Amino acid sequence: MGLEDQLQENVMTTKVDAVVGWARKNSLWPMPFGTACCAIELMATLASRFDLARFGAEAIRFSPRQSDLLIVSGRVSIKMMPVLKKIYDQMPEPKWVISMGACASSGGVFNTYTLVQGVDQYIPVDVYIPGCPPRPENVIQALMKIQEKVAQAKAN
Amino acid sequence: MGEDVENKEERETEDVGRSESEPGTVTTRIRARFGDASVSTGNAVGCESVIAERDALLPFMTFLKDDPELSFDYLVDVTAVDRLRLDEEIRFAVVYQLYSYKHNHRFSVSVPVPEADPRIGSVVSVWPGANWLEREVYDMYGIVFEGHPDLRRILMPDDFGSYPLRKDYPLHGKGERDNFVF
Repeated sequence: MGLEDQLQENVMTTKVDAVVGWARKNSLWPMPFGTACCAIELMATLASRFDLARFGAEAIRFSPRQSDLLIVSGRVSIKMMPVLKKIYDQMPEPKWVISMGACASSGGVFNTYTLVQGVDQYIPVDVYIPGCPPRPENVIQALMKIQEKVAQAKAN
Repeated sequence: MGEDVENKEERETEDVGRSESEPGTVTTRIRARFGDASVSTGNAVGCESVIAERDALLPFMTFLKDDPELSFDYLVDVTAVDRLRLDEEIRFAVVYQLYSYKHNHRFSVSVPVPEADPRIGSVVSVWPGANWLEREVYDMYGIVFEGHPDLRRILMPDDFGSYPLRKDYPLHGKGERDNFVF
């Protein structure tokens, strides 16, 4: 009772999940796995015109150990898939995955002997982006979808 | 006006694609060295060419490189052809594209390789640049280059069981892309 008198309206009651989710979603650290032209669009998304920093996701890290968002942008061959799996495994929990473009999501036009027909056969994917390649607006929308998902995640 | 005409003539004489040697120089030289019956020559795609025997490949290639009138000092490419559905008795042909910086002429050597015994001598000892080119032909066609210092697959995974550019290999593979383990 005495405490409320002193603090008055300077206190907000909430849940830990909500606070941690809010913090996480506005500070995503993407790990780019760029193997094709989608990676060029990803770079454009990060540059000044589209500016992924507006969503707090500009801190691209080329070490999976410092990242929580894997963006698979490009073709993945059966020789490259073990590398992608290892990078995914090296990322600390909690982590999310965007499959960017037709190739990463389904193999795209490369319906051939050597190409993985969708990375979701081997790693879990949270958001798929259609397009060949997708425009930066699509990437931003995917990031916002990830943010919605991150906000709802449990904190532990 | 007069200058323009002069420049045009200059450009024509400086055409980089044109060989300085007379047509047929290379095949004439080879016939002089190995005899008329040794090689069958042709002029495929505007480039002098020869169909060589694989058993005497290394001395032949060494001659092409070391002979002062030929001096093919640059191996442009090594590739292979699978003639499975063509009217050929011998299924494969390994094809070497050669170029001489000294004489500015080109040459093409085709060597038939049978399916039952897909072996051919390596030319890495003649042109070190053949190393990766021969590995790619081995990877894609299963042709073994004897004497190669490091004959491993170069593009496909090491445990890949097939040779994908053979004409009897299906485009979608034999299930490798769905069943590989790692």
